[in-house]
Amino acid sequence: MKRAVKNTLRGYLFASPWIAGFVVLGLYPVVMSLYYSLCQYDVLRIPQFVGLRNYRELLFQDHYFYTAVWNTLFYTFIRSPLVIAGSLILALIVSKAVRGVKFFRTIYFIPSIISGVILSVLWLWLLNPEYGFINSALQFFGLPGPLWLIDPHWSKPAIILMSVWSLGGGRMLVFLAAIQNVPAHYYEAVEMDGGGWWAKFRNVTLPFISPVLFLWFILEVIFSLQVFVEAYVMTKGGPLNSTLFYNLYLYNKAFDDFDMGYASALAWLLFIIAGIITFIQFRVSNKWVYYSGGAEK
Amino acid sequence: MRSKLNKTVIGLIFGLLVVYLFLPSQKARERQVVRYWFVAGVKEDIPPCVPWFNAAQESIHVEGIAIPWNEHEKKVLTAILSGDPPDVVNLVTPVPKWAARKALVRLDSILVQDRLDTAQFFPSLWQEMKYRGHTYALPAYTGAFALFYNKRMLREAGLNPDQPPATWEDVHAYARKLLRRENGKISRMGFIPQYGNIETPLIIAFERGMQFVSERGDRVTLQSQPLIEALRWERDFFDLYSVDEVSAFMGGFGYGNQHGFIAEKVALFINDNSFIDQIEKYNPGLEYGVAMIPSPDDAPSVSAAGSWWLAIPRGAKNKRAAWTFMKYVVSHPVQLREAMSREETLFPVNRRAAHDPAFLALHPFMHIFSEQMEQTRSKSVTPLVHDIFWREFSLARERSLRGVMTPQRALAEAERSIQFSLQRALEYDHYVNARMKTEDFFD
Repeated sequence: MKRAVKNTLRGYLFASPWIAGFVVLGLYPVVMSLYYSLCQYDVLRIPQFVGLRNYRELLFQDHYFYTAVWNTLFYTFIRSPLVIAGSLILALIVSKAVRGVKFFRTIYFIPSIISGVILSVLWLWLLNPEYGFINSALQFFGLPGPLWLIDPHWSKPAIILMSVWSLGGGRMLVFLAAIQNVPAHYYEAVEMDGGGWWAKFRNVTLPFISPVLFLWFILEVIFSLQVFVEAYVMTKGGPLNSTLFYNLYLYNKAFDDFDMGYASALAWLLFIIAGIITFIQFRVSNKWVYYSGGAEK
Repeated sequence: MRSKLNKTVIGLIFGLLVVYLFLPSQKARERQVVRYWFVAGVKEDIPPCVPWFNAAQESIHVEGIAIPWNEHEKKVLTAILSGDPPDVVNLVTPVPKWAARKALVRLDSILVQDRLDTAQFFPSLWQEMKYRGHTYALPAYTGAFALFYNKRMLREAGLNPDQPPATWEDVHAYARKLLRRENGKISRMGFIPQYGNIETPLIIAFERGMQFVSERGDRVTLQSQPLIEALRWERDFFDLYSVDEVSAFMGGFGYGNQHGFIAEKVALFINDNSFIDQIEKYNPGLEYGVAMIPSPDDAPSVSAAGSWWLAIPRGAKNKRAAWTFMKYVVSHPVQLREAMSREETLFPVNRRAAHDPAFLALHPFMHIFSEQMEQTRSKSVTPLVHDIFWREFSLARERSLRGVMTPQRALAEAERSIQFSLQRALEYDHYVNARMKTEDFFD
């Protein structure tokens, strides 16, 4: 008994660097941000407790809040399916055992290691309406190029377009691993029944990799809800607030206006929004996710 | 035995190293050290006034540290929170924005004690050093704005190249004559109100004497005739072309020789005195002139100004030495010497330096900037909600320009939004003031 206690203590002792780090750098800020979300607070001065006022003002008086939510949801729900479908197609292509496939896997992975700021600066040029590559290419095919980031109708699609850059990367690798794990005899069974590539994909590949797809849908939605760098570097939220994404608005409130209480409240509302979307995804998941070992709870 | 000896030797060396690292340097032991943080401009070089100051006296040693422009506010803020801030900071975001947050030490008492001559500064710059009647900083450097005009383009459009537009109506008329199209696309323009660092409608409102905040500072006004008319004036440019057309045209502009004015794509442009150097560097053959900023028919020309300023952050250790250095930097001889020696041409805040014949001799246009500096107003119109004001003001302009809203409606929306934030800020300010003291120089 005594020995067991000693062992437990030892275990905690060994885990203590992590525990200390988590409490100081993780838990403490989280708890404090919850407290500050109930305050007026500008960091340099003492906080003033105001109860739920920040939340009330955000939900009922602040029209930028809804602009930011709309922009972010638009971005999330258009981008997430697109990049997942795109990455899946890429993974399917590089899953073929042909010569030189490893080379292409590497090539498709490389863009994902470039930092967001550099990408944004690069895309600022690609999307330049006068001199950019994209409009030059469109012009070559006789298509009129939009003004992209300068036009409030095209600014969000332009930022979504940037995501093609990250189609490869981690997502593709995970899909690839999942595809390669599908047992070959299922494909043989489809072939015997006379099914083609679509039947194989639809009835074998897709169900088998559906848990992985599900995981990525959840992660992708959470990543997309946090979109920030592109708008911060390229548009600062403009034109006409069309790229005022949630985290950009939060950043403006926190670090331009030093309204930390309000910004904390924004952060907690985003947490709730992400929680609701994830919850819905889980509820819908049992309609389309297949676990080969039986349903997992 | 041997390993023990080794350990002793290593220990000894290590110990000496530690002692050496923590030992104050030769200079520091004799002199009081003042840590001076300045926001780095194009270069990270220590401003020349620092070595001059260190050489000029024996008791204080200033240690200049460049902090990068990005995130500089956060850096200074964290330093103040840590309780170990630098002794002097050189920043550019409005003083009231910092003073309102009790980040700076009040200078009133030392100003009186030292009988510092405050008339040596340009009045609008000096005004900006204050918040609610108290002074928190000294202006250090500024940029003076004026109108640049391209003589060759004026001549080619059939206009008198020696007669730049004097009123805002003239600017309209000039712009019409200067507009050129090639293959259905704009190839040359007279004036683009939204191009550049200065907000033309704000200037026009200043010239008409508009006040943005009530006397008591609790009520913000944007929907007033001068500003509505200024936005209308700006909107009137767009009956000849669409916003998209102009945006596409401006999409080709960049820095250096890609700049719209330097590349001779735009004929009229308001910019600061350092633009002279840019022109000399990238297009030395450019035939141009500089004139006072236009004004309405019945009102004098006014420019907007802000300055880089020096202040002592709350909690600084060497206030007295810091103050000595600050006074040195803003004095007439140092301002003059620095303006004449720096590669980035910053304009002196000291009007005696700015009107000094030696300074005016730097460039034939310099006297225009000095003259314009006498007629400036601060851009810090709503200190408590400074950034919100500017975000809302830009949005209102954009809405009016794109025709999404009428100028009146756009300004009404902005006003409502700023007032909402101002109310919040005031309530918090009131709460804090009852519980927290602002540090005084002699505390």
